[in-house]
Amino acid sequence: MEWTFNITWLVLIVLTIISAVFANLDFAYVAIIILGLSFLKFIGVAFFFMELKKANVFWRVLLVAFLGLLLTVVWAV
Amino acid sequence: MADTVKIDYKNIFYPPGGILMWIVIYLELVTFGIALVFMALNARAEPEMFHESRLLLNTAYGAINTIFLLSSGWCMAQSVYFLKKGNFSKSKLFLNLTILGGFLFLALKSVEYYDKVEVGLTIGYNDFFGYYWMLTLFHVVHVIVGIVILALSARTLRKKPETLKIEDYQSGATFWHMCDLIWLLLFPIIYLLF
Repeated sequence: MEWTFNITWLVLIVLTIISAVFANLDFAYVAIIILGLSFLKFIGVAFFFMELKKANVFWRVLLVAFLGLLLTVVWAV
Repeated sequence: MADTVKIDYKNIFYPPGGILMWIVIYLELVTFGIALVFMALNARAEPEMFHESRLLLNTAYGAINTIFLLSSGWCMAQSVYFLKKGNFSKSKLFLNLTILGGFLFLALKSVEYYDKVEVGLTIGYNDFFGYYWMLTLFHVVHVIVGIVILALSARTLRKKPETLKIEDYQSGATFWHMCDLIWLLLFPIIYLLF
């Protein structure tokens, strides 16, 4: 049993529950918090489950840059 | 088998899962990403309609499906880990659990779709539901393809585990994780944001 995967899974589940809770609240920064949590979950799956952390820096930077750009654009429009 | 194979993942041409799979992943993410940006642009034009439509979605279904996919992804990662260690029985166990997670996702999605169709919230209802149906159905197609790939791996793992190449197995696993990644974009934006 790989404990890094277990910890990653636990964090992802907690972040999912937090996202669902925040979505039912009504305040100014809900959107940015939901998208920020989405960013963290996406990175968690890619870097730990998919082992992208072991890959060349090119693939890591490309994924983070794409995700950052996409979520920023979605939030900004 | 697997421990004898040493892949230099730091080499730009050998990311975990294979370079071709990662090219596919980036193309898929860009495709879904462009659709989500257009959805956000439409939401800006009609914020009230998007908000009211979003409230018609069942957030609990979306959150439970997220948990199904993340748990399934965890099982897939464990399966690859045990295959690399040469422990076929545990690898097979976790692969079967991964496939089960995929079926649970599809079952709950079917319930959700049935609920929507029953009350007339079909693809032509409004722009929001147009995006909802197109994006989530396109994702469901990926999940089905992923289950087929994993089922083929499970067959090899059951009948001739010694012939299974870790690179091929990891490519299938990477495709499955891609379904997670796409859902992790769809769920917050479609179900929670507007």
